[in-house]
Amino acid sequence: MMSVLTCVIESMGSSCSRPHSLNEAEAAENAKSADIDRRILQETKAEQHIHKLLLLGAGESGKSTIFKQIKLLFQTGFDEAELRSYTSVIHANVYQAVKILYDGAKELAQVESDSSKYVLSPDTEVLSIYIEIGEKLSEIGGRLDYPLLDKELVQDIRKLWQDPAIQETYSRGSILQLPDCAQYFMENLERLAEVDYIPTKEDVLHARVRTNGVVETQFSPLGESKRGGEVYRLYDVGGQRNERRKWIHLFEGVDAVIFCAAISEYDQMLFEDETKNRMMETKELFDWVLKQRCFEKTSFMLFLNKFDIFERKIQKVPLSVCEWFKDYQPTAPGKQEVEHAYEFVKKKFEELYFQSSKPDRVDRVFKIYRTTALDQKLVKKTFKLIDESMRRSREGS
Amino acid sequence: MPQYQELPCGGQVLDIDTALKDGILGGALEAGDAAAGDAGKQPVELRKMMDELDAAGDGGGDEVVPAVFICPISLEPMVDPVTLCTGQTYERANISRWLALGHRTCPTTMQELWDDALTPNATLRQLIAAWFSRRYTRFKKRSADFHGRAADLVHGLRGTAVPRRQPLKGQARVAALRELRSLATTHQSVTKAIAEAGGVALLTSLLGPFTSHAVGSEAVAILVSGVPLDADAKAALMQPAKVSLVVDMLNEGAADTKINCVRLIRILMDEKGFRPETVASLSLLVGVMRLIRDKRHPDGVSSGLELLNSICAVHRPARSMIVSIGAVSQLVELLPELATECVEPALDILDALSAVPEGRTALKDCPRTIPNAVRLLMRVSEPCTRRALSMLWTVCRMAPEECAPAAVEAGLAAKLLLVIQSGCAPELKQKASELLKLCRLNYTDTLFISKCKLTRTIQ
Repeated sequence: MMSVLTCVIESMGSSCSRPHSLNEAEAAENAKSADIDRRILQETKAEQHIHKLLLLGAGESGKSTIFKQIKLLFQTGFDEAELRSYTSVIHANVYQAVKILYDGAKELAQVESDSSKYVLSPDTEVLSIYIEIGEKLSEIGGRLDYPLLDKELVQDIRKLWQDPAIQETYSRGSILQLPDCAQYFMENLERLAEVDYIPTKEDVLHARVRTNGVVETQFSPLGESKRGGEVYRLYDVGGQRNERRKWIHLFEGVDAVIFCAAISEYDQMLFEDETKNRMMETKELFDWVLKQRCFEKTSFMLFLNKFDIFERKIQKVPLSVCEWFKDYQPTAPGKQEVEHAYEFVKKKFEELYFQSSKPDRVDRVFKIYRTTALDQKLVKKTFKLIDESMRRSREGS
Repeated sequence: MPQYQELPCGGQVLDIDTALKDGILGGALEAGDAAAGDAGKQPVELRKMMDELDAAGDGGGDEVVPAVFICPISLEPMVDPVTLCTGQTYERANISRWLALGHRTCPTTMQELWDDALTPNATLRQLIAAWFSRRYTRFKKRSADFHGRAADLVHGLRGTAVPRRQPLKGQARVAALRELRSLATTHQSVTKAIAEAGGVALLTSLLGPFTSHAVGSEAVAILVSGVPLDADAKAALMQPAKVSLVVDMLNEGAADTKINCVRLIRILMDEKGFRPETVASLSLLVGVMRLIRDKRHPDGVSSGLELLNSICAVHRPARSMIVSIGAVSQLVELLPELATECVEPALDILDALSAVPEGRTALKDCPRTIPNAVRLLMRVSEPCTRRALSMLWTVCRMAPEECAPAAVEAGLAAKLLLVIQSGCAPELKQKASELLKLCRLNYTDTLFISKCKLTRTIQ
């Protein structure tokens, strides 16, 4: 029986020379798989030098501004084409701001007891002109597509901006959803409307676009880390509530979370929910992030951001308007007050961190930085410290 | 080539300086030595030089005092050498004392003295004076060198050097600070020079929110090395931004950096105008606890415990903060492994923490409190026993039904009997017997006595 089979097999082989090609095919397969293994090994080694940084935080906390700063500091910055690409965004910001202010003034005039403050111009003739301008701009601002700013529109906008009623409305900006860049752009209107306008770095940093999805960039820091071939990969996300469900996909393998908290928004409400105080939202969000299982060993860098706005606001609006800070006791007015208030806020965040971190997580690195994301020098210095800290923890472990 | 002076009588005298220079009497050759031959130096001045060199712990280690200068009786260098009739030389005071005791022999040769005379050995005295004065001038010069070097470094860092240069930055700055630190720690007197050159203000200004740890750790090390800090300097150092940096380094620095940070905080705490809220920082407390738990560095453990103790004493609200970071159970679990001198401060801290309700609850909830406290009774010292007893008392009073049996199982009863029978203070014995009464409440007499396993305790 066996011999018959062997004969058959042998004859089978000789008729179509299959054993030969079988060996070849096998060899090819082996070579391919070895190649893949080698590539996997190479990539794994490379991955050891890549450190993943995640920018998290509530909406409008400054994450994307930090992201832009990284581009400016550690990469080639923005070339002319990229700068120009921001023109439409900046103009859109202007229209949005005007619409919010004009509509806001109208609403406040109806709702507030002291309504005369919000009525544009006592002079009826001027008033009708202003109303015409206001309605036109409000309509533009409500579109999805904005025209470019021109001299005429700028004149109109300037008329409105200078009206005391609008200024009064602006001072109530915290109850409207007015973006922080409003004043900056209003002060630079003429320049923005020039025919050959190319946005400056400052303009780009101020420009406000709600981030959608995830944006990623890779950079090498300067100094010693660069020599070691270390590379940082930074991820920026959208901060609004509906964007946060996309965050979870990024949580694995993160070396450090940079959590941005805008400390100037203790008296503002959420864009997506006007009944919720922004600081309280940040507090809950920070707590949630700290408790995530995948961040057990991750370093946390807390950026207490928008310090420049905080400085100005503290003189006018007490911290205690925010429920979390209701036990704040002011001291002497002036610069000392700012420092005192800042230290209070910092302590609150510290407390929150240690409450939310179980004892086994107390060993992870946690540092707080006072930042103003628009200030390039400050961001550079801050990143130098972060780089140093991460290098230390890499060497220590 | 030694220079020989021709004497009228035909002998040759070796010039002292040459003798020293050529190393005939030991001592290395150094170029540019000041002429040391001040042969007329009085013994008093010589004594002063010797004392100063001794006190400075002069690190000119390669310079051993030549054997011929040493008095055989006291083994100290001689200031007023006198020679006996046997030819042996001793320090006058020592040999006079020997003779005054009634001896009539030479201490080294044991020969009987045929002559009481003590001949002053002028040659030897001159040589000793010359040798010491040379060493002294070199020491002074080196000191001045160190002082000068330190002052130069400070001026370089400040940008106030002559000729005017930019203040050092980057790696150069770190290197200068490192050198300054090693000077300050090896030669105490240098710290004064640093202060005089404006170093304190410089170092304080270097500490800020953007200071790298490389710069910060050196600056702190210099500040705690003994540089005089006046009230203004300390007030400046207490600014929140600077304290934050120190706390950061306490959390993340190398072991010696952490210990220096602890020392700096202690120095600031001793100052009159110290605001206790400065230490009410969770990050600080977490950092100190981490230091205490790090068994690899016993110095860190003891300094951390001392700091925590001071904090508890100075700032009462800090106690709840300390409890909230889980310090109670961590300290309790450390107790068996602590070095003897660390046990008392650790128990002091636990004692202070038990003054707040959260602390008492944490003590009760920690399963190792009772066994570890029982172990410490009558083990280390009376104050420790008192604290341990107080802890047990607190815990058992809070929850007698669960704690008392646990305590008894851990051998508490026998230990208490030991306390009562010992030579401790009466209040302690009183406390012990009260605790004993509390513990035996749920036991019959016979059962309780069987629980007092005396033999095991004594082992």
